[in-house]
Amino acid sequence: MTPDSFILVLLGGILALDGTSVGQFMISRPLVAGTLTGWVLGDPVLGLVVGGVIELYFIPVFPVGGAEFPEGGPPTLVGVVAAAGIPGAGGIALGVMVGLLFSRLAALSVHLLRKANSRIVPDPARAQVSSRQVVLAHLGCAGLDFLRGAALAGLGLGLAGWTTSSLQGLWPLSLPITLGLLILGTALPAGAFVRSVGGWRKRGVLFAAGAGGFLIGSILL
Amino acid sequence: MKKPSRRACISTFLRSFLIQGSWNRRTMLGSGFGFSILPTLRRVYRDDPEGFEAAVTRHVEHFNAHPYLANLALGATCRMEMDGEPPEEIRRFKLAVRGPLGSLGDSLVWAGWRPATVLMALALGLSGASPGVTVLFFLLAYNVGHLLLRFGGFAVGLERGTQIGDSLRKMSLPLQADRLAGIGVFFLGAVLGLVLGRGSEFGVRVLPWGALLALGLFLGSRLGQGSWRVIYWTVGGLGGVLFLIGWFG
Repeated sequence: MTPDSFILVLLGGILALDGTSVGQFMISRPLVAGTLTGWVLGDPVLGLVVGGVIELYFIPVFPVGGAEFPEGGPPTLVGVVAAAGIPGAGGIALGVMVGLLFSRLAALSVHLLRKANSRIVPDPARAQVSSRQVVLAHLGCAGLDFLRGAALAGLGLGLAGWTTSSLQGLWPLSLPITLGLLILGTALPAGAFVRSVGGWRKRGVLFAAGAGGFLIGSILL
Repeated sequence: MKKPSRRACISTFLRSFLIQGSWNRRTMLGSGFGFSILPTLRRVYRDDPEGFEAAVTRHVEHFNAHPYLANLALGATCRMEMDGEPPEEIRRFKLAVRGPLGSLGDSLVWAGWRPATVLMALALGLSGASPGVTVLFFLLAYNVGHLLLRFGGFAVGLERGTQIGDSLRKMSLPLQADRLAGIGVFFLGAVLGLVLGRGSEFGVRVLPWGALLALGLFLGSRLGQGSWRVIYWTVGGLGGVLFLIGWFG
Protein backbone atom coordinates (compact mmCIF):
# COMPACT_ATOMS: atom_id res chain seq x y z
CA MET A 1 0.00 0.00 0.00
CA THR A 2 1.44 3.38 -1.02
CA PRO A 3 1.47 6.30 1.48
CA ASP A 4 -1.23 8.04 -0.61
CA SER A 5 -3.45 4.94 -0.54
CA PHE A 6 -3.01 4.69 3.22
CA ILE A 7 -4.00 8.36 3.66
CA LEU A 8 -7.01 7.88 1.37
CA VAL A 9 -8.20 4.80 3.29
CA LEU A 10 -7.90 6.76 6.56
CA LEU A 11 -9.70 9.69 4.95
CA GLY A 12 -12.48 7.30 3.87
CA GLY A 13 -12.97 6.28 7.51
CA ILE A 14 -13.04 9.90 8.69
CA LEU A 15 -15.50 10.89 5.95
CA ALA A 16 -17.82 8.02 6.93
CA LEU A 17 -17.68 9.08 10.59
CA ASP A 18 -18.47 12.70 9.74
CA GLY A 19 -21.45 11.63 7.62
CA THR A 20 -23.54 10.53 10.59
CA SER A 21 -21.70 9.25 13.64
CA VAL A 22 -19.37 12.02 14.76
CA GLY A 23 -19.81 15.77 14.51
CA GLN A 24 -21.41 16.19 11.09
CA PHE A 25 -19.15 19.14 10.34
CA MET A 26 -19.82 18.42 6.64
CA ILE A 27 -16.29 17.35 5.77
CA SER A 28 -18.15 14.43 4.20
CA ARG A 29 -20.02 16.59 1.67
CA PRO A 30 -18.91 15.75 -1.88
CA LEU A 31 -17.57 19.29 -2.40
CA VAL A 32 -15.19 18.98 0.57
CA ALA A 33 -14.45 15.25 0.25
CA GLY A 34 -13.63 15.71 -3.45
CA THR A 35 -11.29 18.63 -2.86
CA LEU A 36 -9.52 16.89 0.05
CA THR A 37 -8.99 13.80 -2.12
CA GLY A 38 -7.74 16.02 -4.94
CA TRP A 39 -5.19 17.53 -2.54
CA VAL A 40 -3.92 14.11 -1.52
CA LEU A 41 -3.55 13.22 -5.22
CA GLY A 42 -1.95 16.57 -6.04
CA ASP A 43 -4.84 17.96 -8.12
CA PRO A 44 -7.31 19.87 -5.93
CA VAL A 45 -8.99 21.53 -8.94
CA LEU A 46 -9.97 18.13 -10.36
CA GLY A 47 -11.25 17.18 -6.89
CA LEU A 48 -13.30 20.38 -6.72
CA VAL A 49 -14.78 19.82 -10.20
CA VAL A 50 -15.79 16.18 -9.60
CA GLY A 51 -16.88 16.87 -6.00
CA GLY A 52 -18.80 19.98 -7.10
CA VAL A 53 -20.73 18.09 -9.79
CA ILE A 54 -21.55 15.23 -7.39
CA GLU A 55 -22.56 17.85 -4.80
CA LEU A 56 -25.13 19.24 -7.23
CA TYR A 57 -26.52 15.73 -7.74
CA PHE A 58 -26.85 15.41 -3.95
CA ILE A 59 -28.62 18.74 -3.38
CA PRO A 60 -32.14 17.29 -2.94
CA VAL A 61 -30.98 14.40 -0.75
CA PHE A 62 -31.99 15.08 2.86
CA PRO A 63 -31.31 12.58 5.68
CA VAL A 64 -34.85 13.08 6.97
CA GLY A 65 -35.92 10.93 9.93
CA GLY A 66 -34.63 7.41 9.51
CA ALA A 67 -34.56 7.57 5.71
CA GLU A 68 -31.79 5.75 3.89
CA PHE A 69 -30.01 7.88 1.35
CA PRO A 70 -26.99 7.67 -0.97
CA GLU A 71 -23.79 8.45 0.93
CA GLY A 72 -21.53 11.26 -0.32
CA GLY A 73 -18.14 11.09 1.43
CA PRO A 74 -16.25 7.86 0.62
CA PRO A 75 -17.93 7.51 -2.83
CA THR A 76 -16.74 10.99 -3.85
CA LEU A 77 -13.24 10.01 -2.74
CA VAL A 78 -13.41 6.97 -5.02
CA GLY A 79 -14.83 9.09 -7.85
CA VAL A 80 -11.95 11.57 -7.67
CA VAL A 81 -9.39 8.73 -7.62
CA ALA A 82 -11.05 7.29 -10.75
CA ALA A 83 -11.12 10.72 -12.40
CA ALA A 84 -7.41 11.23 -11.74
CA GLY A 85 -6.60 8.04 -13.65
CA ILE A 86 -7.88 9.29 -17.03
CA PRO A 87 -6.92 12.72 -18.35
CA GLY A 88 -9.50 15.21 -19.71
CA ALA A 89 -13.24 14.86 -20.23
CA GLY A 90 -13.26 11.06 -19.87
CA GLY A 91 -11.78 11.33 -16.38
CA ILE A 92 -14.38 13.83 -15.18
CA ALA A 93 -17.22 11.75 -16.65
CA LEU A 94 -15.86 8.53 -15.15
CA GLY A 95 -15.29 10.21 -11.77
CA VAL A 96 -18.87 11.44 -11.54
CA MET A 97 -20.23 8.11 -12.78
CA VAL A 98 -18.16 6.03 -10.35
CA GLY A 99 -18.98 8.42 -7.48
CA LEU A 100 -22.72 8.21 -8.07
CA LEU A 101 -22.79 4.44 -8.57
CA PHE A 102 -20.58 3.87 -5.55
CA SER A 103 -22.90 6.03 -3.41
CA ARG A 104 -25.55 3.31 -3.75
CA LEU A 105 -23.15 0.63 -2.56
CA ALA A 106 -22.22 2.90 0.34
CA ALA A 107 -25.93 3.33 1.18
CA LEU A 108 -26.23 -0.46 1.36
CA SER A 109 -23.29 -0.58 3.76
CA VAL A 110 -24.98 2.09 5.93
CA HIS A 111 -28.11 -0.06 5.99
CA LEU A 112 -26.08 -3.07 7.14
CA LEU A 113 -24.27 -0.98 9.76
CA ARG A 114 -27.57 0.21 11.21
CA LYS A 115 -28.78 -3.38 11.40
CA ALA A 116 -25.58 -4.36 13.19
CA ASN A 117 -25.94 -1.37 15.55
CA SER A 118 -29.44 -2.58 16.49
CA ARG A 119 -27.84 -5.79 17.76
CA ILE A 120 -24.95 -4.06 19.49
CA VAL A 121 -26.77 -1.36 21.50
CA PRO A 122 -28.26 -2.49 24.81
CA ASP A 123 -32.00 -3.14 24.83
CA PRO A 124 -33.62 -1.28 27.77
CA ALA A 125 -36.80 -3.34 27.38
CA ARG A 126 -34.98 -6.57 28.29
CA ALA A 127 -32.83 -5.70 31.27
CA GLN A 128 -31.29 -2.90 33.31
CA VAL A 129 -28.53 -1.21 31.31
CA SER A 130 -25.19 -0.23 32.85
CA SER A 131 -23.27 2.92 31.91
CA ARG A 132 -20.31 0.76 30.85
CA GLN A 133 -22.52 -1.15 28.39
CA VAL A 134 -23.78 2.13 26.91
CA VAL A 135 -20.28 3.58 26.45
CA LEU A 136 -18.77 0.40 24.99
CA ALA A 137 -21.68 -0.19 22.60
CA HIS A 138 -21.77 3.42 21.48
CA LEU A 139 -18.05 3.76 20.81
CA GLY A 140 -18.03 0.28 19.24
CA CYS A 141 -20.73 1.33 16.77
CA ALA A 142 -18.81 4.51 15.89
CA GLY A 143 -15.66 2.42 15.42
CA LEU A 144 -17.53 0.11 13.06
CA ASP A 145 -18.61 3.13 11.03
CA PHE A 146 -14.97 4.21 10.69
CA LEU A 147 -13.99 0.71 9.54
CA ARG A 148 -16.89 0.69 7.08
CA GLY A 149 -15.69 3.96 5.51
CA ALA A 150 -12.08 2.78 5.39
CA ALA A 151 -13.14 -0.53 3.81
CA LEU A 152 -15.27 1.29 1.24
CA ALA A 153 -12.35 3.56 0.36
CA GLY A 154 -9.98 0.57 0.10
CA LEU A 155 -12.41 -1.34 -2.12
CA GLY A 156 -13.03 1.80 -4.16
CA LEU A 157 -9.31 2.40 -4.72
CA GLY A 158 -8.97 -1.08 -6.18
CA LEU A 159 -12.08 -0.62 -8.29
CA ALA A 160 -10.93 2.81 -9.50
CA GLY A 161 -7.52 1.42 -10.45
CA TRP A 162 -9.11 -1.41 -12.43
CA THR A 163 -11.66 0.86 -14.17
CA THR A 164 -9.16 3.50 -15.20
CA SER A 165 -6.75 0.97 -16.66
CA SER A 166 -9.60 -0.74 -18.58
CA LEU A 167 -11.27 2.42 -19.84
CA GLN A 168 -8.18 4.50 -20.66
CA GLY A 169 -8.75 6.47 -23.89
CA LEU A 170 -12.22 5.06 -24.57
CA TRP A 171 -14.35 8.14 -23.79
CA PRO A 172 -15.76 9.20 -27.17
CA LEU A 173 -17.13 12.67 -26.35
CA SER A 174 -15.43 16.06 -26.46
CA LEU A 175 -15.02 18.27 -23.37
CA PRO A 176 -17.90 20.68 -24.30
CA ILE A 177 -20.35 17.81 -24.88
CA THR A 178 -19.24 16.04 -21.70
CA LEU A 179 -19.60 19.23 -19.66
CA GLY A 180 -22.97 19.93 -21.30
CA LEU A 181 -24.24 16.45 -20.39
CA LEU A 182 -23.02 16.81 -16.81
CA ILE A 183 -24.71 20.21 -16.52
CA LEU A 184 -27.86 18.73 -17.98
CA GLY A 185 -27.74 15.90 -15.46
CA THR A 186 -27.71 18.38 -12.57
CA ALA A 187 -31.02 19.86 -13.76
CA LEU A 188 -33.03 16.88 -12.48
CA PRO A 189 -31.89 17.10 -8.84
CA ALA A 190 -32.07 20.90 -9.03
CA GLY A 191 -35.72 20.65 -10.08
CA ALA A 192 -36.37 18.10 -7.32
CA PHE A 193 -34.79 20.46 -4.78
CA VAL A 194 -36.98 23.40 -5.86
CA ARG A 195 -40.03 21.18 -5.54
CA SER A 196 -39.08 20.03 -2.05
CA VAL A 197 -38.69 23.61 -0.77
CA GLY A 198 -41.92 25.06 -2.10
CA GLY A 199 -42.08 24.59 -5.89
CA TRP A 200 -41.74 26.90 -8.85
CA ARG A 201 -44.75 29.09 -8.04
CA LYS A 202 -43.23 30.09 -4.73
CA ARG A 203 -39.54 30.06 -5.65
CA GLY A 204 -39.47 30.53 -9.44
CA VAL A 205 -38.70 34.26 -9.36
CA LEU A 206 -35.78 33.80 -6.96
CA PHE A 207 -34.37 30.98 -9.08
CA ALA A 208 -34.74 32.99 -12.29
CA ALA A 209 -33.10 36.03 -10.66
CA GLY A 210 -30.12 33.95 -9.55
CA ALA A 211 -29.76 32.07 -12.85
CA GLY A 212 -30.26 35.10 -15.12
CA GLY A 213 -28.13 37.47 -13.06
CA PHE A 214 -25.16 35.17 -12.71
CA LEU A 215 -25.35 33.87 -16.30
CA ILE A 216 -25.27 37.38 -17.73
CA GLY A 217 -22.63 38.40 -15.19
CA SER A 218 -20.36 35.47 -16.04
CA ILE A 219 -20.65 36.10 -19.78
CA LEU A 220 -20.06 39.86 -19.49
CA LEU A 221 -17.22 39.62 -17.01
CA MET B 1 -32.71 21.38 42.80
CA LYS B 2 -29.12 20.16 42.44
CA LYS B 3 -26.62 22.75 41.29
CA PRO B 4 -25.46 21.93 37.76
CA SER B 5 -21.77 21.12 37.62
CA ARG B 6 -19.98 23.07 34.89
CA ARG B 7 -17.74 20.10 34.16
CA ALA B 8 -20.69 17.70 33.77
CA CYS B 9 -22.48 20.17 31.49
CA ILE B 10 -19.40 20.69 29.26
CA SER B 11 -18.81 16.96 29.10
CA THR B 12 -22.47 16.31 28.17
CA PHE B 13 -22.30 19.01 25.50
CA LEU B 14 -19.08 17.61 24.01
CA ARG B 15 -20.51 14.09 23.98
CA SER B 16 -23.52 15.38 22.04
CA PHE B 17 -21.25 15.62 18.97
CA LEU B 18 -21.34 11.82 18.98
CA ILE B 19 -25.09 11.55 19.61
CA GLN B 20 -25.62 9.66 16.33
CA GLY B 21 -22.65 7.32 16.86
CA SER B 22 -24.85 4.26 17.39
CA TRP B 23 -27.84 5.25 15.23
CA ASN B 24 -29.95 2.15 14.77
CA ARG B 25 -33.42 1.05 13.69
CA ARG B 26 -34.54 -0.05 17.17
CA THR B 27 -33.79 2.91 19.44
CA MET B 28 -32.59 5.39 16.78
CA LEU B 29 -30.82 8.18 18.73
CA GLY B 30 -31.71 6.55 22.08
CA SER B 31 -28.37 4.97 22.80
CA GLY B 32 -26.53 8.16 21.75
CA PHE B 33 -28.78 10.22 23.99
CA GLY B 34 -27.95 7.92 26.91
CA PHE B 35 -24.22 8.14 26.07
CA SER B 36 -24.35 11.95 25.98
CA ILE B 37 -26.27 12.48 29.21
CA LEU B 38 -24.10 10.09 31.27
CA PRO B 39 -21.85 12.79 32.86
CA THR B 40 -24.90 14.72 34.09
CA LEU B 41 -26.55 11.55 35.41
CA ARG B 42 -23.34 10.63 37.26
CA ARG B 43 -23.45 14.02 38.96
CA VAL B 44 -27.17 13.92 39.77
CA TYR B 45 -27.14 10.35 41.10
CA ARG B 46 -23.65 10.29 42.63
CA ASP B 47 -25.04 9.09 46.00
CA ASP B 48 -27.62 6.73 44.49
CA PRO B 49 -26.10 3.94 42.35
CA GLU B 50 -29.43 2.17 41.85
CA GLY B 51 -31.14 5.38 40.77
CA PHE B 52 -28.22 5.99 38.40
CA GLU B 53 -28.61 2.58 36.68
CA ALA B 54 -32.37 3.09 36.41
CA ALA B 55 -31.85 6.54 34.87
CA VAL B 56 -29.30 5.18 32.36
CA THR B 57 -31.80 2.48 31.34
CA ARG B 58 -34.55 5.10 30.87
CA HIS B 59 -32.39 7.36 28.72
CA VAL B 60 -31.29 4.71 26.21
CA GLU B 61 -34.92 4.10 25.26
CA HIS B 62 -36.14 5.05 21.78
CA PHE B 63 -35.56 8.70 20.92
CA ASN B 64 -35.16 10.56 17.67
CA ALA B 65 -34.67 14.19 16.64
CA HIS B 66 -32.50 16.24 14.34
CA PRO B 67 -28.93 15.68 15.61
CA TYR B 68 -28.27 19.39 16.19
CA LEU B 69 -31.64 20.27 17.73
CA ALA B 70 -31.50 17.14 19.88
CA ASN B 71 -29.31 19.33 22.10
CA LEU B 72 -32.40 21.32 23.11
CA ALA B 73 -33.97 18.11 24.42
CA LEU B 74 -30.65 17.02 25.94
CA GLY B 75 -30.19 20.32 27.80
CA ALA B 76 -33.81 20.35 28.97
CA THR B 77 -33.58 16.73 30.13
CA CYS B 78 -30.42 17.55 32.09
CA ARG B 79 -32.32 20.38 33.75
CA MET B 80 -35.26 18.08 34.56
CA GLU B 81 -32.93 15.46 36.05
CA MET B 82 -31.20 18.13 38.15
CA ASP B 83 -34.58 19.45 39.30
CA GLY B 84 -35.56 15.94 40.39
CA GLU B 85 -38.57 15.68 38.06
CA PRO B 86 -40.33 12.27 38.15
CA PRO B 87 -39.10 9.78 35.51
CA GLU B 88 -42.53 9.55 33.87
CA GLU B 89 -42.58 13.32 33.42
CA ILE B 90 -39.15 13.23 31.73
CA ARG B 91 -40.24 10.36 29.49
CA ARG B 92 -43.39 12.25 28.45
CA PHE B 93 -41.33 15.37 27.72
CA LYS B 94 -38.91 13.45 25.48
CA LEU B 95 -41.82 11.83 23.66
CA ALA B 96 -43.47 15.20 23.11
CA VAL B 97 -40.44 17.04 21.70
CA ARG B 98 -38.89 14.42 19.44
CA GLY B 99 -41.28 14.95 16.49
CA PRO B 100 -41.12 18.77 16.39
CA LEU B 101 -37.33 18.84 16.92
CA GLY B 102 -36.92 16.37 14.05
CA SER B 103 -39.08 18.14 11.49
CA LEU B 104 -37.90 21.61 12.49
CA GLY B 105 -34.24 20.60 12.21
CA ASP B 106 -34.81 18.89 8.87
CA SER B 107 -36.36 21.97 7.30
CA LEU B 108 -33.99 24.43 8.98
CA VAL B 109 -30.67 22.63 8.43
CA TRP B 110 -30.99 19.93 5.76
CA ALA B 111 -33.35 21.84 3.46
CA GLY B 112 -32.27 25.37 4.42
CA TRP B 113 -28.88 26.10 5.89
CA ARG B 114 -26.85 23.33 4.26
CA PRO B 115 -28.00 23.84 0.64
CA ALA B 116 -27.74 27.62 1.03
CA THR B 117 -24.14 27.54 2.28
CA VAL B 118 -22.92 24.80 -0.07
CA LEU B 119 -24.48 26.53 -3.09
CA MET B 120 -22.93 29.85 -2.06
CA ALA B 121 -19.57 28.09 -1.89
CA LEU B 122 -20.10 26.50 -5.31
CA ALA B 123 -21.00 29.91 -6.75
CA LEU B 124 -17.80 31.27 -5.21
CA GLY B 125 -15.76 28.42 -6.72
CA LEU B 126 -17.32 28.93 -10.15
CA SER B 127 -16.54 32.65 -9.92
CA GLY B 128 -12.86 31.79 -9.80
CA ALA B 129 -12.03 31.23 -6.11
CA SER B 130 -9.34 28.64 -5.43
CA PRO B 131 -10.38 25.16 -4.19
CA GLY B 132 -9.02 26.00 -0.72
CA VAL B 133 -11.03 29.24 -0.42
CA THR B 134 -14.18 27.53 -1.75
CA VAL B 135 -14.02 24.66 0.72
CA LEU B 136 -12.95 26.84 3.64
CA PHE B 137 -15.78 29.28 2.95
CA PHE B 138 -18.32 26.45 3.02
CA LEU B 139 -16.94 24.81 6.16
CA LEU B 140 -16.76 28.12 8.05
CA ALA B 141 -20.17 29.40 6.93
CA TYR B 142 -21.91 26.11 7.58
CA ASN B 143 -20.30 25.41 10.92
CA VAL B 144 -21.02 28.87 12.34
CA GLY B 145 -24.73 28.02 12.09
CA HIS B 146 -24.15 24.41 13.08
CA LEU B 147 -22.26 25.22 16.28
CA LEU B 148 -24.65 28.03 17.18
CA LEU B 149 -27.55 25.59 16.96
CA ARG B 150 -25.78 22.92 18.98
CA PHE B 151 -24.48 25.22 21.69
CA GLY B 152 -27.47 27.58 21.77
CA GLY B 153 -29.89 24.64 21.85
CA PHE B 154 -28.08 23.00 24.74
CA ALA B 155 -27.79 26.27 26.69
CA VAL B 156 -31.46 27.19 26.15
CA GLY B 157 -32.58 23.67 27.10
CA LEU B 158 -30.45 23.71 30.23
CA GLU B 159 -31.80 27.08 31.29
CA ARG B 160 -35.45 26.73 30.34
CA GLY B 161 -36.09 23.04 30.96
CA THR B 162 -39.62 22.08 29.94
CA GLN B 163 -40.28 25.67 28.83
CA ILE B 164 -38.17 25.33 25.66
CA GLY B 165 -41.36 25.58 23.59
CA ASP B 166 -41.64 29.32 24.40
CA SER B 167 -38.02 29.91 23.40
CA LEU B 168 -38.53 28.01 20.15
CA ARG B 169 -41.59 30.09 19.32
CA LYS B 170 -39.66 33.32 19.95
CA MET B 171 -36.89 32.20 17.59
CA SER B 172 -39.51 31.64 14.83
CA LEU B 173 -37.40 28.91 13.30
CA PRO B 174 -39.97 27.86 10.62
CA LEU B 175 -39.80 31.40 9.20
CA GLN B 176 -35.98 31.27 9.23
CA ALA B 177 -36.12 27.88 7.49
CA ASP B 178 -38.36 29.31 4.79
CA ARG B 179 -36.00 32.26 4.23
CA LEU B 180 -32.97 29.96 4.06
CA ALA B 181 -34.73 27.74 1.51
CA GLY B 182 -35.32 30.89 -0.59
CA ILE B 183 -31.63 31.80 -0.38
CA GLY B 184 -30.76 28.22 -1.37
CA VAL B 185 -32.99 28.41 -4.45
CA PHE B 186 -31.49 31.78 -5.45
CA PHE B 187 -27.96 30.36 -5.26
CA LEU B 188 -29.03 27.19 -7.05
CA GLY B 189 -30.09 29.41 -9.93
CA ALA B 190 -26.80 31.32 -9.59
CA VAL B 191 -24.75 28.11 -9.75
CA LEU B 192 -26.57 26.79 -12.82
CA GLY B 193 -26.26 30.23 -14.48
CA LEU B 194 -22.54 30.33 -13.70
CA VAL B 195 -22.03 26.75 -14.89
CA LEU B 196 -23.64 27.62 -18.24
CA GLY B 197 -21.73 30.89 -18.47
CA ARG B 198 -18.37 29.32 -17.59
CA GLY B 199 -19.17 26.34 -19.83
CA SER B 200 -19.45 28.70 -22.76
CA GLU B 201 -15.69 29.37 -22.32
CA PHE B 202 -15.15 25.66 -23.09
CA GLY B 203 -17.46 25.67 -26.10
CA VAL B 204 -20.77 24.83 -24.39
CA ARG B 205 -23.51 26.66 -26.30
CA VAL B 206 -25.69 28.60 -23.89
CA LEU B 207 -29.01 28.61 -25.74
CA PRO B 208 -29.50 24.92 -26.67
CA TRP B 209 -27.99 23.64 -23.42
CA GLY B 210 -29.97 26.25 -21.46
CA ALA B 211 -33.20 25.02 -23.07
CA LEU B 212 -32.33 21.41 -22.25
CA LEU B 213 -31.47 22.50 -18.72
CA ALA B 214 -34.90 24.13 -18.36
CA LEU B 215 -36.50 20.90 -19.56
CA GLY B 216 -34.46 18.92 -17.02
CA LEU B 217 -35.50 21.32 -14.24
CA PHE B 218 -39.14 20.85 -15.18
CA LEU B 219 -38.77 17.05 -15.26
CA GLY B 220 -36.87 17.06 -11.96
CA SER B 221 -39.58 19.06 -10.25
CA ARG B 222 -42.20 16.64 -11.59
CA LEU B 223 -40.26 13.58 -10.43
CA GLY B 224 -39.30 15.01 -7.02
CA GLN B 225 -37.21 12.66 -4.89
CA GLY B 226 -37.80 9.93 -7.52
CA SER B 227 -35.42 11.83 -9.80
CA TRP B 228 -32.52 10.29 -7.88
CA ARG B 229 -33.39 6.85 -9.24
CA VAL B 230 -33.54 8.28 -12.76
CA ILE B 231 -30.16 9.99 -12.32
CA TYR B 232 -28.60 6.85 -10.96
CA TRP B 233 -29.65 4.68 -13.90
CA THR B 234 -29.16 7.38 -16.53
CA VAL B 235 -25.65 8.36 -15.45
CA GLY B 236 -24.58 4.76 -14.88
CA GLY B 237 -26.23 3.46 -18.05
CA LEU B 238 -25.32 6.34 -20.34
CA GLY B 239 -21.75 6.44 -19.08
CA GLY B 240 -21.38 2.69 -19.60
CA VAL B 241 -22.86 2.85 -23.11
CA LEU B 242 -20.55 5.72 -24.07
CA PHE B 243 -17.48 3.84 -22.89
CA LEU B 244 -18.71 0.83 -24.88
CA ILE B 245 -19.06 3.02 -27.97
CA GLY B 246 -15.48 4.13 -27.37
CA TRP B 247 -14.40 0.49 -27.07
CA PHE B 248 -15.98 -0.50 -30.41
CA GLY B 249 -15.32 2.79 -32.15
